[in-house]
Amino acid sequence: MNALNKIIFEPIAKSLDNILVFLPNIMTSLFIFILGLVISLAVKMVLEGVFKAIGLDRLSKKLGFQELMKKGGITDRLSLVLAKFTGGLLFLIFTLLSMRALEVNVLEKLSDKFLFYLPNIVIALLILLAGWLLGNFLGRTVLIAAVNAGIKFSRLAAAFVKYLIVMLAVTMALEHIGIGEKTVEIAFAALFSGVVFAFSLAFGLGGKDIARGFLERKLKEDRESEDDGISHL
Amino acid sequence: MKDAILNDDALKRIHELKETDILVGIPSFNNAATIGHVVRAVQAGLSKYFPDRRSVIVNSDGGSTDRTVEIVQKAAIDDFESILVTHGESVFKISTPYHGIPGKGSAFRTIFRMAEMLRAKACIVVDSDLRSITPEWVELLVKPVLKGDFDFVSPLYLRHKYDGTITNSIVYPLTRALYGKQVRQPIGGDFGFSGELASFYLAKDVWDTDVAKFGIDIWMTTTAIANGFRVCQSFLGAKIHDAKDPGADLSAMLNQVVGAAFDLMEEYPAVWKELTGSSPVPTFGFTYAVGLEPVSVNLPRMIERFRLGVKELSVIWSKFLPGDVMDYLLWTAELPESDFSFSDETWAGIIYSFALAAYTRAINREHLLKALTPLYIGRTAAFVKDTQESDAQQVEDKIEGLCRLFEDKKHFLCENWQV
Repeated sequence: MNALNKIIFEPIAKSLDNILVFLPNIMTSLFIFILGLVISLAVKMVLEGVFKAIGLDRLSKKLGFQELMKKGGITDRLSLVLAKFTGGLLFLIFTLLSMRALEVNVLEKLSDKFLFYLPNIVIALLILLAGWLLGNFLGRTVLIAAVNAGIKFSRLAAAFVKYLIVMLAVTMALEHIGIGEKTVEIAFAALFSGVVFAFSLAFGLGGKDIARGFLERKLKEDRESEDDGISHL
Repeated sequence: MKDAILNDDALKRIHELKETDILVGIPSFNNAATIGHVVRAVQAGLSKYFPDRRSVIVNSDGGSTDRTVEIVQKAAIDDFESILVTHGESVFKISTPYHGIPGKGSAFRTIFRMAEMLRAKACIVVDSDLRSITPEWVELLVKPVLKGDFDFVSPLYLRHKYDGTITNSIVYPLTRALYGKQVRQPIGGDFGFSGELASFYLAKDVWDTDVAKFGIDIWMTTTAIANGFRVCQSFLGAKIHDAKDPGADLSAMLNQVVGAAFDLMEEYPAVWKELTGSSPVPTFGFTYAVGLEPVSVNLPRMIERFRLGVKELSVIWSKFLPGDVMDYLLWTAELPESDFSFSDETWAGIIYSFALAAYTRAINREHLLKALTPLYIGRTAAFVKDTQESDAQQVEDKIEGLCRLFEDKKHFLCENWQV
């Protein structure tokens, strides 16, 4: 009987004691989690209404952001995207706080680290988003301008501008969250220099005759093409 | 007291002159080669046809560095007898720099302000690069306002069949279909208008938009028609102007002119949605034919530009052009040069689709308007090809056919223009 008590009942009692000691923490954590869920949903709804009311969607449409977002795979309106993002961020913070409320050493350390990193991650994501949008916008600007100028490799020029900006954004984002700070910087510089060097070689050495011929033809064409004989206005 | 538009010197001159019957505005920027002729023609016109009227010539300059302003001040008719003109009431001249966005529209704003302050009864504006202006232009642009009770006089020119292609293929058909008036040269650039209309223009808040640049001409014409001012046109003869600026960018021109036309559509939907068909406007002046300098066109190059556009920009156009139009463009881009064509019906549909895309903000506005350039070049190439053997009347008939198509297809625009 004594042995049975020692093997079964004592550990159960001890566990129950532990649970009883831990129960307030669990309740607090659950409360913070549910509170976080409610607050984030409320904030999301309020923000969506406010953004709509101040005409953010109209502005984003007017500035071309809506269309750029679509191209980037985001089909929701900007007001909803921003409201969801803010709500989601709040929910994440409350979840981390609820983890801390459990007062478990490992979880505390983990959430501390995450909370410490969170602003950097948010800023890095914003940098990536801005880079993607700007890259698309400027890529299209270059494409249309190049086509209107009659440049045959318009798409290549547009892609070059677009991905250069996206790469720059990725570099900046990675640097911001502290991943391989110098490595990324050096890699970007090396890649960029490499591209420029490759172009220089192609035009300067490898194909100097072609380059000269091309430039001569281009300049001649430009002189001729400026006057297509038509007065448009 | 300071004025937001005029500088102290101009205000001083206005204070001295007090008022005028006729005000002639000449916008300029580095036009030393031609402006002397324009000023002399205007002076002769004012002296010959309105000798008993008080007149002022206002040169609104954009900061010329080539003696333009000096030439305006010195320009004078030395021998009035040689042009059978009685030297009556003096013609006063004011040269003043304009402020705001560099462009013709900002120069006009200064002229409108002058007209308002001098309580001008009739005003005209003429381009400073004109080589074909005669004293009769002054009479033809002023008289309908002073004696005919009209508020706006649009020019009617004889132009080469390949001259003014933006007017012939976009602005005239679109303006006529929308606002129901057959004003043949809505962006002619040389207009007559009443003092009342000058004040009406001045009160509009448009001076930070494309109206301040190339868009001013279409804006003046449309504003006059849409607001019920009495509109007519005067036949001025041939329009020959200084060789165009080779640096002038076609897509920038299209962006500003077509952009201004699209903006006006958003301002006056209540006016144009109700209208069907169109009617002629009273026309003054003695119509005659003159020989025009031949124009050579680089057709293969234009078709090549169109094909490049189809290849690279289809992905953008397909966002707002109907599927059948896209299919047509892909088909026509494949045609050999000898068979190249661009149907009027497709062209009218394209312009209306671009107007709807601008209205719904389907893509960034500047991208949208600049993406029109290869299509316009393709359409112009087809027009040139189709009319190589045509005389002036046949070309005019073709343009008339295009205008009717714009009118017939207007229902597509009205049905898809949702508030």
